[in-house]
Amino acid sequence: MDMSLFSNLALGFGVALTPINLMYCLIGVLLGTLIGVLPGIGPVATIAMLLPITFSLSPITALIMLAGIYYGAQYGGSTSAILVNLPGESSSVVTCLDGYQMARQGRAGPALATAAIGSFFAGCVATVIVAMFAPPLAEVALKFGPSEYFSLMVLGLVAAVVLAHGSVVKAVAMVILGLLLGLVGTDVNSGVLRFAFGVAELADGIGFVTVAMGVFGTAEIITNLELKDKREVFTSKVTNLFPSKDDFKRIWKPILRGTALGSMLGILPGGGALLSSFGAYTLEKKISVNGHMFGKGAIEGVAAPEAANNAGAQTSFIPLLTLGIPSNAVMALMIGAMMIQGIAPGPQVMTEKPQLFWGMIASMWVGNLMLVVLNLPMIGLWIKLLTVPYRILYPSILVFMAIGVFSLSNNPFDVLQMMLFGLLGYVFVKLACEPAPLLLGFILGPLMEENLRRAMLLSRGDPWVFFQKPISAGFLIASILLLVILALPALRKKREEAFQEG
Amino acid sequence: MRKLLLSIVLLSAAQTALAQAWPARPIRLICPYPGGPVELSSRIVAQKLQEALGQPVVVENRPGAGGVIGADYVAKAAPDGYTLLMGAIATHAINPSLMPSLPYDAMRDFRHIALVVQVPNVLVVNNDLPVKSVKDLIALARTKPGQLDFGSGSTGSTGHLAGELFKQMTGTFMVHIPYRSSAPAVADMLAGRVHLMFDNLASALPNIKAGKVRALAVTTTRRTDFLPDLPTLDESGLKGFNLTTWWGLMAPAKTPNEIVNRLSAETLKAMDAPDARERLRNLGSATPGVRTPEAFSAFIEAEKTLYARLVKVSGAKPD
Amino acid sequence: MKIKSPQDFWAGLMFIVFGLFFLIVARDYQMGTAVRMGPGYFPTVLGGILAVLGAVVLLTSFTMSGPKVPKLSFKPIFFISLGLILFGYLLKPIGFVLSVVVLVFVAAFGGHEFKLKEVAILAVILVIFSVLVFVKGLTLPFPLWPAFLD
Repeated sequence: MDMSLFSNLALGFGVALTPINLMYCLIGVLLGTLIGVLPGIGPVATIAMLLPITFSLSPITALIMLAGIYYGAQYGGSTSAILVNLPGESSSVVTCLDGYQMARQGRAGPALATAAIGSFFAGCVATVIVAMFAPPLAEVALKFGPSEYFSLMVLGLVAAVVLAHGSVVKAVAMVILGLLLGLVGTDVNSGVLRFAFGVAELADGIGFVTVAMGVFGTAEIITNLELKDKREVFTSKVTNLFPSKDDFKRIWKPILRGTALGSMLGILPGGGALLSSFGAYTLEKKISVNGHMFGKGAIEGVAAPEAANNAGAQTSFIPLLTLGIPSNAVMALMIGAMMIQGIAPGPQVMTEKPQLFWGMIASMWVGNLMLVVLNLPMIGLWIKLLTVPYRILYPSILVFMAIGVFSLSNNPFDVLQMMLFGLLGYVFVKLACEPAPLLLGFILGPLMEENLRRAMLLSRGDPWVFFQKPISAGFLIASILLLVILALPALRKKREEAFQEG
Repeated sequence: MRKLLLSIVLLSAAQTALAQAWPARPIRLICPYPGGPVELSSRIVAQKLQEALGQPVVVENRPGAGGVIGADYVAKAAPDGYTLLMGAIATHAINPSLMPSLPYDAMRDFRHIALVVQVPNVLVVNNDLPVKSVKDLIALARTKPGQLDFGSGSTGSTGHLAGELFKQMTGTFMVHIPYRSSAPAVADMLAGRVHLMFDNLASALPNIKAGKVRALAVTTTRRTDFLPDLPTLDESGLKGFNLTTWWGLMAPAKTPNEIVNRLSAETLKAMDAPDARERLRNLGSATPGVRTPEAFSAFIEAEKTLYARLVKVSGAKPD
Repeated sequence: MKIKSPQDFWAGLMFIVFGLFFLIVARDYQMGTAVRMGPGYFPTVLGGILAVLGAVVLLTSFTMSGPKVPKLSFKPIFFISLGLILFGYLLKPIGFVLSVVVLVFVAAFGGHEFKLKEVAILAVILVIFSVLVFVKGLTLPFPLWPAFLD
C-alpha cells in the first residue's frame, strides 16, 4: 500500500508539475485570491463564468485551474475578513472575530501571516489525508444520515454559545434568532413558503452573504463613522509584519487541532465543512490558556479556524472524488465541469483515470505552496492599505460590497437586504448582542430542521433513533456535557453578582 | 379602421427593420438556475451563438423562487430579441400547477425557441434491496406497503413526480423523502437509508457503472444510449411512462418571428456542432427530437398537462 | 421598577418582538405531527423559546445593573443606507459608472468631513478600477452607461 502511495504521488506530481499545469494552477490561485478578497464575488460564479474558457484545455488542466480558484478564494476570503471585517463566506465569519481586532491593534501582519501559515500547513496535511485515506473515509461519510447530522448540528449550536464573550442568555437568543431567520423561504419538506410575505426574492431564503456582510461589514462602517473624535479606526503604529517567536509558540497547537478537526468535518458532505471553522474556534476558546482574550484579538482565534477551514476545503474533495457527491455549491459545479469534459465523477475516477485523480491531489499541494509563497510577501502591501485614511477607505469598501452583493443574482433586492441587515447589525452593536452566534444559527437552522424532519420521517416518528445510533448518541451526549460545562461558570457568576447586589 | 391598419403596417415594418438590424448589440441570456447544468449548458450555447451572431451573448444569472424570478423577468422584458431565457421544466411545466400564483403564463407570455437539453431519469435502488427488476420492485412494494422510501432532490421535482406516477400506475404506496438537492439523497440511497430514487441520468450514471447502485429502468419510452441494456418503465409494464428533465431557449411573447426563426436555426446549428453536442451529451442529454419553435411549444403544452395531473395526484402542491 | 440595565432591557424587548413575530406568523402554517412535522412546527417552537429568552433578558435588566445604550448617530446610518439603495436600484437604469459615482458621493456625506475634490478623485479612481476588474475582467453583466445612451 505504501509503495503504491508513493508511485501514485509520483504519477500525480508528474502531471501537476508540467509547465502548462503549473501555469494554470497559478492562474487559478491568483484569480481565486482576487475574488476571495473582493466581497460577494464567490468561486461559484467565477468558475461558472470561466468554464467555456476551459473547454480548450485538457480536462486535468481545466480541473487544476478550477480547483485553484476554489482554495485560492479561501485564502483571499480571510484577507478581507481580517482587514475590513468582511466575511465573504461562512468560513471566514470566525476569522473576523479576532483577525479584525488584531488589525485594529496594528497586528494585521501577524494575523494575515498566521492565516496563511495555518492554511498552508492544514492544506499539506489534508492533501496527504486525501491521498492516503480517500476511499475508507468516504465510507465514514456514508455513515452520516439525517439523525447523525441533526445531532451534529445540535452540538454545533451548543458550541455556538461559546462564540460569544458576553451574556450566555443573549448568545442563546441570538442563535435562535439566527435559526428563525434561516427558516425564511420555501420549506424543503412541504414546499410551503414561509415568512416571505409575497416577496418572490425571499422564496429561496435570505442569502448568507447579504446577512454576513450586513451585520459585520455595513454595521462596522456605520459604527466607525460615529466615532466622535476624528481618531483613525486603525492604529497607525504597526508593530511587525510577521508573527513573533512568542506568537509561533501560541499558534502551533491550535493549528494542529484545527487541522485535525477541519479534516474530519470536511469529509461530511451534508454540511460538516460549515462547522469546521466554528468548531475549531470554539474548541480553542475553551481549552486555550488565553481563552479570555478571544474576541479581543487572540492570535489563536485566527490560527485554529483558518487551519480548520482550509483542511476542510481539501478533504471535502473526498466525497466528490470517491462517491461523486458534492459537499457544497462549488463542488456541485465542479461535477458539472468534470461531466462536460467527459469525466463522470464517482468511484471509478480513481481507477480509470489515475492521472486525473492523483494529478489533482498533487496540484492541491502545489497550489497551496504557491498561495503561501504569493501571500506572505503581499502582507506588506495589504497593511499599507490600512494606512489609507478611513474617509477614503470606507466608500471604497462600500463600493466593492455593493457590486459584489448585486452580482449575486443581478437583483437590487440583495443590496437592499444587505442594507437592512446592516441596520439590524448596528442595533445589535448598541444592545451588546454579538452577531457570530446569530450567523451560525442562520447557517445551521435550515439544515437542522431538514434533518430532524427527515430522520423522523425515516424512523416513522420514533424519536429514539437519535439515541439508538451510536454516532448520533455520541454527539447528543457531548452536547449535554458541553451545556453543563457552559452553564456552571455562568451560574456561579450569577450567584456572585447576586451576592454583590444584595 | 384605416388608422388601425396603418399602425399595423407601420408596426410590422418597424419590426422587420428591427429584425434585419438584429443583433446590433449584446444579447442577454437569463439563466434562472446558476451553478448547475442549466447554467453550464447556457454557457455552451451562448458561446456558440456568439460566434454565429457576431455579437456577445452574455449569460446573466437571475436565480430565485424556483426559477420564477428569472422567467418572470424575461416575460416582462422588451420583446426585441436582446433578452432571452433558458426556461426549464420547472418554470414552464411544473410551476404552473405547483405554485398558487405564478406572475406569468408559461404559454402566452413566451416564444419557445429551441429545446436544448433533455435528460431522462433512471429508477435506481440500493444494492441491498432484494429486487432485480421493476416487477420485483412492484411485488416488494405490494408486500410492504408504506415501508419503502424514495428520495428526491426536492418536492415537486421530476424525481418526486416520477415516483408519484409510479405509485399511481402500480397502485403501491411508498414514502417520499424530500431533500434540498439530489446529492444528499444519493448519499442516503448509497448508504441504504432510502431504498430507491428516480434520479437524473447524469448524476446516477457513475454509481450505476461502478456497481454501487442497481438501475432498474429508464423513465423514457425509448431506451437511452448511455445504458442500452437498461429496459424502459414502459417495457416493464408501466405503459406510457415517459418523463424527462429538460430546458431550452425562450424569448418574450412579442419577439418578432424573424428573430425567433433565426435564433431557432442558429441554436439548432450550435447544438449540432460536434464539440457542443459532445459537451451536452456529457451532461446526459441526447440531441432532443423537438426541432422547431412550434414543436417546442406543443411539447411544453403537453408537459404542462401531464404535470398538472401529476402534481394533483402527488399532493405536492403546498396549501 | 427601575431599569438597571437599559441595554438588556431593549435587547430583551427586541427578542420578545422577534419571537412573537415568528410565532404569530407561523400560526398560518400547519403544525403537523411528530412524524410528519408541518412547516409550522419548527418556527413555532423556536419563536416561543426566543420570546421566553427575551423575557428572561428583560427581567434581569431590572435586577442587574449594566451599561446604558450608546447614542445612535443617524447621519452615517442615513447616508450609508441611502447610498446602498441608490446604487442597487439605479445600476440597471443609469448604468454602472454613474451608480458607482452616486454611491461614493452619498456615502462620503456620511463621514466627518466632506472634501469635494478628494471625493471626486476617489470616485474617478474607483470607477476606473471597478470597471476594469468587474466589468472587463470578471465580465459581470452590468451596463456601463444609461440605457438611452446605448
